Amino acid sequence: MQRLAVALYAALDGSMNDILRIENASKSYHAPEGGLVQALDNVSLSVRRNEFLTLLGPSGCGKTTLLRAVSGFEALTSGEIFIDGRPMGSLSPHRRPVNTVFQRYALFPHLTVARNVSYSLEISGVGKAEVETRVGQMLDLVGLTGMGPRRIGQLSGGQQQRVALARALIARPKILLLDEPLSALDKNLRHRMQQELKRLQHELGISFIFVTHDQEEALVMSDRIAVLNGGRVQQLDTPEALYRRPSNAFVARFVGESNLLAGMVVASDGERCTVRLDGGAVIEDCRNPGLAKGDAVQVLIRPESIVETAETTESGHQITGTISESYFIGADYHVVVERGELPAIRATLRAGTDTSRLAAGQTATLFVPNSAAHLLRSGSADI
Amino acid sequence: MSGTEQHAKRRTKILLAALLVGPTLFLVVFFLIPLTIMLVYSWLTPGVYGGVEWTFSHLNYGRILGWANTRYEKFDPTYLAIFFQSVRLAATTVLASLIVCYPAAFWVARMPEKRRQFFIFLITLPFFISLIVRLFAWVLILRPTGFLNQALMGLGLIGQPLEIIYTDVAVIIGMTYVFIPFMFLPLYASIEKLDESLIEASQDLGANRIQTFLRVVLPQTLPGIIGGSIIVFIPSLGNFIVPSVLGGAKVVMTGNLIEQQFLSARNWPFGAALGMIVMTAVLVLLLLYVRAVSREDRQGVTLPVAHGGAK
Repeated sequence: MQRLAVALYAALDGSMNDILRIENASKSYHAPEGGLVQALDNVSLSVRRNEFLTLLGPSGCGKTTLLRAVSGFEALTSGEIFIDGRPMGSLSPHRRPVNTVFQRYALFPHLTVARNVSYSLEISGVGKAEVETRVGQMLDLVGLTGMGPRRIGQLSGGQQQRVALARALIARPKILLLDEPLSALDKNLRHRMQQELKRLQHELGISFIFVTHDQEEALVMSDRIAVLNGGRVQQLDTPEALYRRPSNAFVARFVGESNLLAGMVVASDGERCTVRLDGGAVIEDCRNPGLAKGDAVQVLIRPESIVETAETTESGHQITGTISESYFIGADYHVVVERGELPAIRATLRAGTDTSRLAAGQTATLFVPNSAAHLLRSGSADI
Repeated sequence: MSGTEQHAKRRTKILLAALLVGPTLFLVVFFLIPLTIMLVYSWLTPGVYGGVEWTFSHLNYGRILGWANTRYEKFDPTYLAIFFQSVRLAATTVLASLIVCYPAAFWVARMPEKRRQFFIFLITLPFFISLIVRLFAWVLILRPTGFLNQALMGLGLIGQPLEIIYTDVAVIIGMTYVFIPFMFLPLYASIEKLDESLIEASQDLGANRIQTFLRVVLPQTLPGIIGGSIIVFIPSLGNFIVPSVLGGAKVVMTGNLIEQQFLSARNWPFGAALGMIVMTAVLVLLLLYVRAVSREDRQGVTLPVAHGGAK
């Protein structure tokens, strides 16, 4: 009865579904040049079972430190990490139910592919026959069938990547940690591996925590993304929410292309508000993030939401300027429009058949629909 | 086109040959010729006052290996015993220097750059002082009234002086001391190259410290261990200065025996034969090692030395 109650409570709490819970994790250390560096600043987040979570941020944002705190290679200054409800404390890395795919794979050069993959099974004393079948299955799973006897030095970068994956997954960890594993691969291979990783994660039903500084990669692969900067979680959300509704200017700039325009709230009725941009343009009917009349605000406008001609029913404002840069990016043109004193605007426009109007030096008149604007509190966590 | 190419090739060949003349000549004059002289002498009859008589004799080897000249003497196993004693002392020296140097090399390799340079300089510092002087310093330390015994007695750890000087132990201490730099540098080279992330990967995959050491660190640093062992073992085996200073007349190694045969006993052919036997033993050892390495290479397992540099 009591157990049922506990289970019920946990289910209600939502923590039953969390494979990893990080509570108020902080980490500071003395830099060699002197001075205290705050690598993690009171980070709390949880990862659900079977979730692909990405830690995204620029270098030095604390994402790798956080990952290493989970794997046990980095001790927290304060805070606690729970894996499957169990506090990790100062448990050493070899006792934690997680495995890591290292940035540069860290494969054992003195062992064959098969012995690399079977390493953790050999350590835990699994029988020879079982090791063999499981290594075979694992190699099949990552597409390296028959490669077992090869030496690491004979493999390509992509193959080494797969060996690293197989090696980390064979012991069926509760969480797989991936520390920028794709950064050493060329672009095409990287795209293939992204899809492969997603497939593996689905098939195995293991939670993945993926560290990257590549926002495109994060958007493509993740169920949720935690954007980190300065040792803090800036926002933890689904890729779409992160893109459409960034909670501050840092996230807006880091994820996707952005135009951030300064302005001021001129009217507010709680839910919605009206903003006047520097330069006079007025944007009506914006979703209000809790601002009052007179507050300074930053308005995010994604380049692809800017159009050349407005739909008749749409309200918005027009901008005029001279195209200073123009790039063909497939179906679209990416242009930079200079507006004298006012900040330049980046827009992604459908090319169509006649593209001479989008060449550098042309005058462009563009339309910014009101619905494209997303308001950010001014001065919130700038880069 | 191909004509000029061939011409260029021939010119490179001539240039290469010209460059190699010097070193080749040097090796022939100072290495190959003396070695041949020793080899020939070892099969000749000793002269009465040193030198050789140009008569063939296999008895120099016979005296060592078991067929003596029965007219003058019986076969004496002393020489073989001395040889195996030398092997034992050299092997112990290798082990002792390994035990000292392996942790030390790890310690130095983990230091910040500047301090590391300084420590490596310190390791080579003894070379600036004469070997004989350094060995006599050890006599002062190890003798019954020496520093070590005084200190231990002063601390009340021992009642009477330890008999260290003129024993095997003194010789091993001395040789270990002399050859430590030779062990340290190859060890350091392989340990410094050791990829820290491999150790982390091993731990991440569930291996504790001991398992990680045995399965990752040891195989990865094996080239250094074997390389260091070889270049300590070889000069230890033939060493005669350390046993003559620290071993007195009580510890005789093959090196001393050879020295005696040339300088006091004036039996050059016998000394040469002893030298050949030491050299053969070393060569056999090296060949065995090379074969083991190339076999491992074929099997696709790690091999020390040959792939040590490839990472």
